[in-house]
Amino acid sequence: MGLGACRMSSPTGGTDAGEMVFYGPTARIRGFDPVKAGDVASAMAISKVYEGLLQYSYLERPYRVVPLLADGMPEVSDDGLTYTFRIRKGIYFQDDPCFVETGGRGRELTAEDFVYSIKRVADVKNASTGYWAFNNRIVGLDEFREASRSPYPTDYDLPVGGLQAIDRYTLRVRLKRPYPQLLWIMAMHYAFAVPREAVEYYGSDFVNHPVGTGPYVLKSWKRNYRVEFVRNPKWTEAGRVELYPAKGEPDDVAAGLLEDAGRPVPFIDRIVQLVVSDASTSWLMFLRGRFAFSGVSRDNWDAVITESRDLTPELKRKGIVLSRTPAMDIYYTGFNMDDPVVGPNKLLRQAMTCAFNTEEWIRFHNNRITRPSGPLPPGVAGYVEKSSPYPFDLERAHRLLARAGYPGGKDPQTGRRLILTLDLGAAEAPEVRQSTELFIDFMRRLGIVIRPRYNNWPTFLERLERRQVQLYRLGWIADYPDAENFLQLFYGANSSPGPNHSNYRNPEYDRLYEQMRTMPDCPERTRLIARMVDILMEDCPWIFMSVPLEYLLRHRWLLNYKAHDFPYGMIKYYRVDVQDRIRWRAQFGRGFSPR
Amino acid sequence: MSMREKDIREANMSLWRDAWRRLKARRSAAACLLVVGAYALLALYGEGVYWYYYLRDETPPYNRVNLEAQYLPPSVFRAPFRMPAGAASPEGWRMHLVRLRFGLRNLLRHPLGTDGLGRDVLQRTIQGARIAFQVGIVTSLIAIPIGLVLGLIAGYFGGRVDDVIVWLYSTFASIPGLLFILAVAMVVGRGLTGVYLGIGLTTWVGLCRLIRGEVIKHRGRPYVEAARALGFGHVRIMFRHILPNVFHIVLVTFTLRFPAAVNTEVIMSFLGIGVQGEPSWGIMISNARLRLWHGIWWELAAATVAIFGIVLAFNLLGDALRDALDPRLRTGRT
Repeated sequence: MGLGACRMSSPTGGTDAGEMVFYGPTARIRGFDPVKAGDVASAMAISKVYEGLLQYSYLERPYRVVPLLADGMPEVSDDGLTYTFRIRKGIYFQDDPCFVETGGRGRELTAEDFVYSIKRVADVKNASTGYWAFNNRIVGLDEFREASRSPYPTDYDLPVGGLQAIDRYTLRVRLKRPYPQLLWIMAMHYAFAVPREAVEYYGSDFVNHPVGTGPYVLKSWKRNYRVEFVRNPKWTEAGRVELYPAKGEPDDVAAGLLEDAGRPVPFIDRIVQLVVSDASTSWLMFLRGRFAFSGVSRDNWDAVITESRDLTPELKRKGIVLSRTPAMDIYYTGFNMDDPVVGPNKLLRQAMTCAFNTEEWIRFHNNRITRPSGPLPPGVAGYVEKSSPYPFDLERAHRLLARAGYPGGKDPQTGRRLILTLDLGAAEAPEVRQSTELFIDFMRRLGIVIRPRYNNWPTFLERLERRQVQLYRLGWIADYPDAENFLQLFYGANSSPGPNHSNYRNPEYDRLYEQMRTMPDCPERTRLIARMVDILMEDCPWIFMSVPLEYLLRHRWLLNYKAHDFPYGMIKYYRVDVQDRIRWRAQFGRGFSPR
Repeated sequence: MSMREKDIREANMSLWRDAWRRLKARRSAAACLLVVGAYALLALYGEGVYWYYYLRDETPPYNRVNLEAQYLPPSVFRAPFRMPAGAASPEGWRMHLVRLRFGLRNLLRHPLGTDGLGRDVLQRTIQGARIAFQVGIVTSLIAIPIGLVLGLIAGYFGGRVDDVIVWLYSTFASIPGLLFILAVAMVVGRGLTGVYLGIGLTTWVGLCRLIRGEVIKHRGRPYVEAARALGFGHVRIMFRHILPNVFHIVLVTFTLRFPAAVNTEVIMSFLGIGVQGEPSWGIMISNARLRLWHGIWWELAAATVAIFGIVLAFNLLGDALRDALDPRLRTGRT
């Protein structure tokens, strides 16, 4: 009885009084093999255990890559074809039975580990989701991929000319042609260091047994329920030190994000994440203080965010903090430039761009989006701030439409209003249908009839690839925060079935793109990008519709949290104010019982 | 007048006149008939609106978006008689008159409220009735001839022909209904054609079975024997002689399958593979569920009540018709 009363008075039950524990939600994790992960939840889990040569800067914007396992940034040859990475000494893999030779003690990381890991991405037997990142880039890797198609086990001793370990701590990557984006790729989980011993020891079970160099090791994993990581003891043992960044944006100081500058990370000792598929359950667990942060689902939007896009007073009183950043995604309505009606008629496309009512679109989406002015979402390297030459202006749209050959929307051939077809995927969601009906109404006000054609996703993609669509609605999510990743969507050689689904071909643009893509990020490149963006905004192959705003809530006791578009591995910078959490829970989080 | 005389008059009445008399005598049936008639008128009105705007090449008002009037509740919940602040109003009884006129006008504006894009719920409900009637009638025009002809042939010829047809409809009947419909609709493509063919091609089995059974009873009857003896052809016997005697089954089946077809259309539209671009009750329900938890109930309520009304009316009417047309199945007193 006395014991029970004691536990009641201390809602944390003493389990995390001495150590710093982080509780959070996660989507279902599919596995821990870096080459196979294609979803966010798995990539997040993998990046707690594994690391790459480079990582994203945590506080600095625009994003840049900084060394992680590499000892400084790589040396790049003048022709941009050879990258030489020096690898840090004294980095050890975690202890694991797979290291038979050392009796289960983790061995030191070497350059060979990266050669092996990148070969694994190319091995067709691994069915990696990440081969696009290296496809036709590294000398000899495509030949390795061809060789791996044989029915026999892949021979990893087969040399790849472009991937060489010069010595124990030097990796040399040779490219077929310049590819400055390689640096972003080296920060992705496809290029994380995987020890060959673990892959060979565990075989097909390797996906359940991560063995990495990262700040955490996997302690337990129940696939659809709970995953737990603990601090990697090897870091202390080997004396490895990683520091909290000292540089950030000007606002970061006021936000308290630099108070831990220069202190060794990670701060959190143990990470416990639960798989919660139901949005309202997850929300209630956040409100009770079980989870440190939460997204804002569409369903509880009105209960959380006020009309002025701020947090409701009730939640503010509880010390919940809202962060809001534009995501690196862009959603658009594209024109198929191969279509005989919309393709050759630039004025028609401009008129339709002018008829797109941004303000109503944002209002319909509850202020959860912003309007991009061009093809680049803010924050990508090479982003240029420009206002669209064709903003919403219905009168101007009418004039442009008349000049386009459709006065008042009337098609002179039929004498009736012009009819265009809009192809969509995934029509089952009522939100998609409603927003489509709003778009149709924008064009109705211009005098054009839009016929929606709702497809299922595979049919939609097939129609795109066969260039059978007229208008289509789609989005693009950044692979890496570089303008090139978005501008390639308009490159002529990338036409369908490539990612340029608008089949936009412009020799001038293509020439600038070819020039731009091999250049490192510099003012000269930004000037080129500005010219390319101008061409696109004038030609209007897309109606740029929205960039979603990412809304994230966290409790006041989760410190050092900054919204990040590539948050992989960033949990090592987070800190939990344990005392404050105990106070908070005593005040607001009734009924909490940690597991 | 003696009882006998009345019996004779009754005996002389044709089946159809007798049925009509019995139907009229049942008050609930008459009410249902009125309800169905009202729905039919609304559907006709909806059809008229559709074609009016189609011919004028304009987007009809029920598809026009007005975000200013988003999620307006039905007019009676909007305090319709409250004058807007600052409105100049004369003194005395005239004031009441102005207020009344204002209130009535307000009551008529969006009487059932608006949806998430500011479109009038009443107009969309009426368009829903139009789609429902189209679906009910067109699918019947597809399914009933198939069921009727196959049932007639199977029952009349018997033997091998019967075996084949029975095998065919047993196969159809053994496939789960909704899945089959969805499969057909997927092959034909989304939209009304898919709905028509999906429902039409899969729902003839019940009728076929009933007709076959009835025809088997009839084919041994003296009048059929007589027709045969006169040397009439099979087709003529089937369609001129037997068909009129089993036609009441078609009528009953029609009234019973009509609401079923409407329901199926609603489900398909709800799932996103039904009607495209036009309002349907299924689409209204699917849209409304987004904000239902938030207390925006009128769009869902309008569509649901509309479906409830037509399904109930048709089902009661179907029962009454069956009672009236088939004396052996009579459940109620007339």
